[in-house]
Amino acid sequence: MSEAFEPVTPLQTIGHATARVDAIERVNGSAKYSRDIKLPGMLYARVLRSPHPHARILSIDTSAASALPGVRAVITHENAQIVWGSGSISGGRQYSDPSKDATLHRRYIFNNPARHVGDSIAAVAAVDRHTAEHALSLIKVAYEQLPFVLEPEAALADAAPKVWPEGNVCPDFRNNLEPMVSNAGDIDAGFAAADEVFEGRYDTAFIHNAQMEPRCALAHWEGDKLTLYTPSQGISNCRHDTARDLGLEDHQVRIVCNYMGGGFGNKNQNQDTDLIAATLSKRANAPVMLEMSRREDWLGVHGRWPTVQYYKIGVKQDGTLTAMQMRAYSGMGPYRKNSGGLSGMEAYACEHRARAIFPVYTNRTTSGNFRGPSEPHGFFGIESMMDDVAFRIGMDPVQFTLKNMLRPTDAQPFTNYSLEDCIVRGAELFDWSTRRQATPGSDPGAIKRGAGFAFMMFRAGVGSSSAIVRVDSKGHYTLFVGVTDIGPGAKTTMGMIAAEALGVPLAQVDVVAGDTDRCPYSVGESGSRTTIMTGYAVVEAAKDLKQQLATQGMPIGNAVLIASATPQPTTDGKSRQCFGAHFVEVEVDTQLGTTRISKYVAVHESGRIINPQTTRDQIRGAIIQGIGQALYEDLHYDPASGQPLTPGYYRARHLTHADIPPIEVDFIEVDDGYGPFGAKTAGEAGIIMAPAAVANAIFNATGKRMTSLPITRNKILEAHA
Amino acid sequence: MSAQDDHCEKTDSVVQYLDPRAQSRRDFLQHTGTAVVASAALGSVSMQASQAVPLDVAASALTQLNLTVNGRAQQLLVDPRWTLVEVLRDQLDLTGTKIGCNRSECGACTVLLNGQPVYACSQLAVWADGMEVQTVEGLAQNGRLSPLQQAFVDHNGPQCGFCTSGQLMSATALLRNNPSPDAAQVRMALVGNLCRCSNYMAIVEAVVATGANA
Repeated sequence: MSEAFEPVTPLQTIGHATARVDAIERVNGSAKYSRDIKLPGMLYARVLRSPHPHARILSIDTSAASALPGVRAVITHENAQIVWGSGSISGGRQYSDPSKDATLHRRYIFNNPARHVGDSIAAVAAVDRHTAEHALSLIKVAYEQLPFVLEPEAALADAAPKVWPEGNVCPDFRNNLEPMVSNAGDIDAGFAAADEVFEGRYDTAFIHNAQMEPRCALAHWEGDKLTLYTPSQGISNCRHDTARDLGLEDHQVRIVCNYMGGGFGNKNQNQDTDLIAATLSKRANAPVMLEMSRREDWLGVHGRWPTVQYYKIGVKQDGTLTAMQMRAYSGMGPYRKNSGGLSGMEAYACEHRARAIFPVYTNRTTSGNFRGPSEPHGFFGIESMMDDVAFRIGMDPVQFTLKNMLRPTDAQPFTNYSLEDCIVRGAELFDWSTRRQATPGSDPGAIKRGAGFAFMMFRAGVGSSSAIVRVDSKGHYTLFVGVTDIGPGAKTTMGMIAAEALGVPLAQVDVVAGDTDRCPYSVGESGSRTTIMTGYAVVEAAKDLKQQLATQGMPIGNAVLIASATPQPTTDGKSRQCFGAHFVEVEVDTQLGTTRISKYVAVHESGRIINPQTTRDQIRGAIIQGIGQALYEDLHYDPASGQPLTPGYYRARHLTHADIPPIEVDFIEVDDGYGPFGAKTAGEAGIIMAPAAVANAIFNATGKRMTSLPITRNKILEAHA
Repeated sequence: MSAQDDHCEKTDSVVQYLDPRAQSRRDFLQHTGTAVVASAALGSVSMQASQAVPLDVAASALTQLNLTVNGRAQQLLVDPRWTLVEVLRDQLDLTGTKIGCNRSECGACTVLLNGQPVYACSQLAVWADGMEVQTVEGLAQNGRLSPLQQAFVDHNGPQCGFCTSGQLMSATALLRNNPSPDAAQVRMALVGNLCRCSNYMAIVEAVVATGANA
């Protein structure tokens, strides 16, 4: 199956494990994160949040708060009506201005009615954070509590409380209250052709991104120019969104984010905190630092959408798929911040398919992007379902996958295809045929061992971004890229790509990033796009500079040579994907309900790996997050009161040092001729398979199909009761 | 809040059994009493569990505090309600110590107090009067990274870097007591330091390598 590509070997800089260019600042405490920055005369801001899941504000009295010595500004929905465009988008299309304009269900920085516990009500700026908090306690709000709904399926019942007057299906980008539908072939003909038809229901929990750095925003005005020091996965998008929401031109907003304490999709775009800090700062005529508590961060931003997924699958006796049908519900909270999509079905080849996904409003906290926004929960559903189908027709799930997975066709060629290579190599490294129980649950004794498998492909498309590179007369290069290193090492990766393309050592290249006034547009640290898109712009800018050097020679004295690039690459109509296969062995204690992972093998093809060290660690970290999603993490609500019960690290039960299993990561490297030196997506790919692989391993160990994430101790004990 | 903790959190977690600091958090809650309970209670108007401040108490008189921070004697005037991490970050500008949760869950604020790792978010600064504090800024000597810091550079210890100073401080305390720990010992010593990038394997590899080279 392997195509004829040159074997990938390390280049001069690329392909070698390389310490981060800013590693020393990261270990000696000198790296300045947004909350570490202080400006003279800086005020501190705090946000008052709704204690109710759904309540109309009848009146709000801020007089006592305003009168408190040290308070400099108080804002509410009455005196600060600012639309937060990225907070609620018809169609959930994150980067579409027309969709944000079309949105009927506008989200403001303060909303009336409040639609979830934690919705913003008011904000205060004061001379110190204690005074600001004291002032919050003096704001008197009279609420009329309204009926609320927490679960997406319940929210679609006729008698359900309405989160918005039009109903609880989130509108599409034309403001029609319609599900996301995609059909192909003839689903009835597909089921008619099947020898057997199987059905299943799977559900997944809301989980919070839970990055270590809580949201904050430091706003500072000089005339009509706003500077925001704010944690952002995409300073260019944050600037554009903030300018649009405040009625400014892009150039009037400067976003600075040099170091960022993780995001995993939580810090895309701008946040209402950016707008609130900017508004308070304008009114108080002083810099304002708004800090969110951990609990606020949990409830005031977003996490992965919870889902309910129904599948119906038609299959021939020989294992060939004939029909795939899915109906699903994604709980979006009261605002549609992102798509609510579910991926996975498209990884299978099947002519007849039907899919309808309902993004549904509820009075839980808002849902949005989390590393692989539509993927890990979608792949958990479909790959659990397919594992079940394979079991029921007596096939090894790996063989079932090899028979049914999507492959290149004449109609849809790929830039390269190594999914089968990943699966075959993973099965070998893991020793699949030995570790898998031929009969699920047959391991004798209370502690049962078994093995599971999952696979994926994930988009690695090319796209436009920008870079500028400069050389001075001393032969020192400076690269300007609008990236932020949110953890994966973007500054280092960009420097390595530049050094390689320029043919100079990495030490000769300075990387300037994280500041919209100093750097050109970059796509943002979402969709695993930075390496491919901004990296490709770096390559093109470097090519241009080399050409200038060849014709003009090195600059002399104070002169510099500068090249910029905003390429518009394409894949010539081919599909470009990264690929992976994960194999997991678990030991399930059927008396205690605990699941221990005893072996984990991950094989990925992410094109050429720029920095093997940081890429390996990204994959390992993503797998650990995925194991957390599989086994532990949840945001419980009290159904009677609508109150969230588990917003925090202890309560949502994140994995610690003590929980980490051995994880082996192996890369198949290919240079398909696209992207920067053939690099593809990696960061999000790692999390996609973990929940499905762990769940399938638990089935193989116990013979019990666990259909609800997280697969907690209680659920395992219930299955064995 | 403590009742909620006991019933709702991490029933299948090992942390509460392994992390001695889990106990000190409860002590802390008892010390600060009703203020914290009120601010974290379900449905309370303020969600600022972060700042355990009695809301009905006006700014109290400043009090003198003597600390030795990274080997240097410091005389400070502090508000008795300020936490140690606030004083380090706001008064001494030692911002390498981070605030991740401000409630003893994540360990990002870990510093050494008389050589012992503590969560600086859950220590009132006045409790540290007369004591020695070491922060991440105090690890390098004469501009040279400590062997542990260098191992974090070499082994990609930080991803986003926000938990790194806390991991470094817990590991520094471990290495003083046990110069060549194995991976299991490192994991136990660092169990109170969360890393949401989940870079746990690289962190443990860095600490083990430091010990092996000692």
